[in-house]
Amino acid sequence: MFSKILIANRGEIALRIIRAAKELGIKTVAVYSEPDRESLHTLLADERVCIGPAPASESYLNIPNIISAAEITKAEAIHPGYGFLAENPRFAEICEAEGLVFIGPPASIIKLMGDKNQARQEMKKAKLPIIPGSQNVIEDFQEAKKLAQKIGYPIILKAASGGGGKGMRIVTSPRQLEEQFSIAQSEAQAAFGNPALYLEKFLVSARHIEIQIVADKHGHVLGLEERECSIQRKHQKLIEESPSPLLQAKTRKRMLRAAEEAAKAIGYQSLGTFEFLVDQDQKFYFMEANTRIQVEHPVTEMQYNLDLIKEQIRLASGEKLSLSPSQLPQGHSLECRINAEDPHNFVPSPGKIDFLVFPGGPGVRVDSAAYSGWTVPPYYDSLLAKIIVHAPTRQEAITKMYTALETMTIVGIKTNLPLHLKILSSTDFLSGRYDIQFLERFLAQGKATQPKKA
Amino acid sequence: MKSKIDYQEILKLINLLEEKKLTEFELEIEGFRIKLVREQSPRPSLVREQPSPSPSPPTPPQPAPPLSKEKAKNNLHYITSPMVGTFYRAPNPSSPPFVEIGDKVKKHQTLCIIEAMKLMNEIESDIEGLVEEILVKNGKPVEFGQKLFAIKPLSS
Repeated sequence: MFSKILIANRGEIALRIIRAAKELGIKTVAVYSEPDRESLHTLLADERVCIGPAPASESYLNIPNIISAAEITKAEAIHPGYGFLAENPRFAEICEAEGLVFIGPPASIIKLMGDKNQARQEMKKAKLPIIPGSQNVIEDFQEAKKLAQKIGYPIILKAASGGGGKGMRIVTSPRQLEEQFSIAQSEAQAAFGNPALYLEKFLVSARHIEIQIVADKHGHVLGLEERECSIQRKHQKLIEESPSPLLQAKTRKRMLRAAEEAAKAIGYQSLGTFEFLVDQDQKFYFMEANTRIQVEHPVTEMQYNLDLIKEQIRLASGEKLSLSPSQLPQGHSLECRINAEDPHNFVPSPGKIDFLVFPGGPGVRVDSAAYSGWTVPPYYDSLLAKIIVHAPTRQEAITKMYTALETMTIVGIKTNLPLHLKILSSTDFLSGRYDIQFLERFLAQGKATQPKKA
Repeated sequence: MKSKIDYQEILKLINLLEEKKLTEFELEIEGFRIKLVREQSPRPSLVREQPSPSPSPPTPPQPAPPLSKEKAKNNLHYITSPMVGTFYRAPNPSSPPFVEIGDKVKKHQTLCIIEAMKLMNEIESDIEGLVEEILVKNGKPVEFGQKLFAIKPLSS
């Protein structure tokens, strides 16, 4: 086992990793940008190194400074968290070359899964069902039009090197395609430096359901039961739950086996998530695999009563899988992502938190790096806190979450707390009848029914 | 004489602020005070303050104080580390240090080396002056932005 690790991240996930490492008796090194001097990850780690100014490109994405920070503090491994360098194969390679353990899969797997198109073809070989679409990158509009005609509208255009919901466009008619195709291309170029697109069938009323994979370096692979992540806006997840209110037991079993087999086929190691779209007929299609810890991992932890981060660190040090397939999930879990943003127009709301009270009590978990008096910097993402609840049934879990969020107080900045309360009390959510379009419809309805201001 | 500024005049002031690249403008007439502050964003913010009890002559526009992180009270200039790494005062263990306290240094003169990822990076002085203090011991790790040398500027 390692004696010291460096956490190449900030915010709640850095804190989450620091806590897990401390419990394992591992010393921690935080890296931080200048505006994060007073951030909790900086304050609570055993050691800290300033790695640059505010822009992430000069600090949290600054590979030479992060590697040097590991060297001067004699850290043996680097945990990348999520975002920033977590899915950068070059960073994983450099770690390996510098004799540092990258806490994640090998660089070759990150690279394979990072190219979404290549990943789909590879997963198809591993017998995972794939949404009908282009085999390769679509070069021009005529080619796109032909294929769209063949598989039928609506279709979705995706950037080949995209992720996190960026560079995606839904197209419903041939007329719309001509216009959207060139926009999507320039968007992909601007966001990822690569205009390559692929095209696939867009499933109406689909659900986003994902399987957590845990794999050691000795060939053992285990799939954990699903996280339902359909409550999302612009492909950014807002509420996750487990189990999914939609999935039938036999579909769940088939998805688990399929994800496990696919992970085995590519020699997967460490934690990873296989994301699927599931349609109304319980048919599931592979979307992409994320080669890192997910934001919503606590949902699975609550269901299985385990610690995925500790497991990830143990696996990176070469230990064998400590989980067994006989371990079963229990009850129902929900996670709400509290963002520092205006709940009406989603504009980020950084600034000083004058006063903050988190919820608590049995079955309520808070993953956050926020505190009263802390200033939320405007340079990074707006995730402020994850509230996770666990209860015997879905209904009890929702009631618990509602109560938790109602008693949560943040003064000084705006958050999406009011939006969460509205969703949690909507009939569609309560009945479990929702899909990936739910939130957009819900927001549009809210606007329509709101009395006009004078 | 008007006791209040109208909307058009405020707009004029905003344009003036933009045009002259001023960061702050404050005006007080007959108990009415207006303060315009232009930040990095091109849109100036309007802050209308409460009238002060006694009228006072208009205050001239005041330039914002220069923001210099590197200049301390006693006029010392600090050379900070541009990267994370290990600080070395000499090109190799058997050579004498690049500079000693009291030495006069020129602009672009090498002051030290920071080793980062097996690369030796020469750190130069960005000012002419006298080495007043060396703030890090040879062979010690340094972080981004850490003060390395205090230089007493020669000019001015």
